[in-house]
Amino acid sequence: MPRTITLDPVTRIEGHLRIDVEVDGDHVTKAWSSAQMWRGIEVILKGRDPQDAWTYAQRFCGVCTTVHAISSIRAVEHALKVEVPINAQLVRNIMIAQHSVQDHLVHFYHLTALDWVDIVSALKADPSKTAQLAQSLSPWPGNSGTEFKAVQDRLKAFVDGGKLGIFASGYWGHPAMKLAPEVNLMAVAHYLKAFDYQRKAAQAVAILGGKNPHIQNLVVGGVATAINLDNLATLNIERLAFMRTLMEEARDFVQQVYYPDVLALAAAYKEWFAIGAGVTNYLAVPEFPADTRSTRFGLGGGVITNGNLENIRVIKNHQDDYLLGNIQESVARAWYHGTDSLHPWKGVTEPNYTDFNADAKYSWCKAPRLEGQPVQVGPLAQILVSYAAGDARVRRLVDDANAQLGLTLKDYHSTMGRLLARGMRAHIMADLSLDSLDQLIANIASGDQTYANPISIPDGEFQGVGFHEAPRGCLSHWMVIKNRKIDNYQAVVPTTWNASPRDEKGVPGPYEASLVGNPVSDPEKPLEVLRTIHSFDPCIACAVHTIDPEGKPVTRIKVG
Amino acid sequence: MKTLILGAGNLLLSDEGFGVHFIRYLEKHYTLHADVELFDAGTLGLMIGHKLEEADRVYIVDVVAAPGTPGTCIRYTKEDFLLQRIPIKLSPHQIGVQEMLLVSSLRGRCPEEIYLLGIIPCSLEPGTELSPPLQQRLPELAAQLVSELSAAAECPA
Repeated sequence: MPRTITLDPVTRIEGHLRIDVEVDGDHVTKAWSSAQMWRGIEVILKGRDPQDAWTYAQRFCGVCTTVHAISSIRAVEHALKVEVPINAQLVRNIMIAQHSVQDHLVHFYHLTALDWVDIVSALKADPSKTAQLAQSLSPWPGNSGTEFKAVQDRLKAFVDGGKLGIFASGYWGHPAMKLAPEVNLMAVAHYLKAFDYQRKAAQAVAILGGKNPHIQNLVVGGVATAINLDNLATLNIERLAFMRTLMEEARDFVQQVYYPDVLALAAAYKEWFAIGAGVTNYLAVPEFPADTRSTRFGLGGGVITNGNLENIRVIKNHQDDYLLGNIQESVARAWYHGTDSLHPWKGVTEPNYTDFNADAKYSWCKAPRLEGQPVQVGPLAQILVSYAAGDARVRRLVDDANAQLGLTLKDYHSTMGRLLARGMRAHIMADLSLDSLDQLIANIASGDQTYANPISIPDGEFQGVGFHEAPRGCLSHWMVIKNRKIDNYQAVVPTTWNASPRDEKGVPGPYEASLVGNPVSDPEKPLEVLRTIHSFDPCIACAVHTIDPEGKPVTRIKVG
Repeated sequence: MKTLILGAGNLLLSDEGFGVHFIRYLEKHYTLHADVELFDAGTLGLMIGHKLEEADRVYIVDVVAAPGTPGTCIRYTKEDFLLQRIPIKLSPHQIGVQEMLLVSSLRGRCPEEIYLLGIIPCSLEPGTELSPPLQQRLPELAAQLVSELSAAAECPA
């Protein structure tokens, strides 16, 4: 007899995502993904000055804010065909890449690692064996027996004093947890250390952005960053050197701790390369523009259909006709008026909440489709597309991982494939940030002092789209400008693609499809469902938070 | 001694934003000693961990879903956090301010003196203003905290 499990919310810091799964025996047979909160900023933006849109749009989220600012600015620049000076491209590229470093670090350690790592088991570990293991995986200097012993002692004091707090409600001892105590201790120690390094990455973005989250240094046509290498009153060489140090420290942590940990996790949970594929159509857009008209990029884009890497459609730039012409969003199963499937420039956002009804409307997420098909976006899409296109850095990482773990590319269509690909992307982002900084300093030193091509919005009607390959995947902001005001604004965010509900034909979105067949050993503790959902790095923006001191469940698991 | 007063909350949901309104009120009406820092933490959660770790004493101002008259302030200590008087969570990675305290403790960097001033909300409806009962309580609660800070300043530990 199938039972339905409701998990609500699935994430806390990133807002409200509800997942309903129907379980028959020991696996999921059907799944529904529901966004429980409405964004509404598109409506607020109507009638406003297009040049201001980015400051509003980055409030879509309280965590990944930079990405919306970038997409929004690019939408105006696309609509008005504005060139962006190379200094500005590089400043943006540094922020984009370094934001990704922070985002991926936080995702791996703080948002998903404890789905796989059993904290309580770490108490049984031998700290010196843990050090041996960690040192065999990485040259990182922080992997000493003393360090692991100190972490274990603090953990022991917590557990003995009944003070495990949040960790007390984890799925410790769950049958699906299978790391050795030493691996668990290593991961717990790195989990705690990662807080320092995510902060360094965030701080680097703040130096350029003026503030983080919610950067302040963008302007249509460039950046408003005051850089003068010799002037104490601006961003000068000393400040940039400090930023470089932060970025180098973050890079070392990503490449010597995060990435080896991902590989260790992947090796221990190899069966998860056969679980959670779901939708195997992928989309990634090119990112890191290398010239003023954005015709060349540091990383490529493309579309993969049905997991076929032999025949990808290359997306060369953000003006790609196929991409611009073939995206539609369906509201057939979402809480908006009507059942239409519309192109984002023609998109309508008229909320009409009706209760959760799995057979009708059940989410605030619209259902984006590319040529009528659901599409998965995210680091996995970017890694697969870049691999197929022959990107040397990506090929090296993927080929090395495949040799070490005994994988083929087919294994990447999976829950663990998403985690591994995100680790690879973080690895590349850490290098790319520093490459872009070198280029920026060289370009300034060569005498280029241009940071923006200021514009004024002309009369008339224009439409533009700002694409951005964000940490969670392909993001696009679509803007229609009429008489110098915003006439329509639609954001198709990565999580809209991935958390999409069914469409008018009843075809499920990537989260929903990925859960079908997912194991569930204990319906009261659906850890395996969380693993697959968290592998996408879900983000339904804007948190509601109230501390509940009576210990009432803030999250409920309903088994019906 | 460095004191951090940290207001948490979502400004878009009326009383849910009490912590942030509280910080703004203090900024406007008081000049505090240089070693007292006012911090609008919004809904940042784990992103503010370093702020906690850099202080010697922390007051967190937030709303709590406890039974009682709206506007009532319930005071919690560090022990209350550590002894699991916090929400039951689906999984351990849904990190807010209170969870960050536990992580800091496990990192061995959590300050000894931590208080949560928990206010019982009246309304969590969308809106950027506090409900009348909480708006009324705001000056009083601010004055109480300021007098506690002054008292502590007069008798150094």
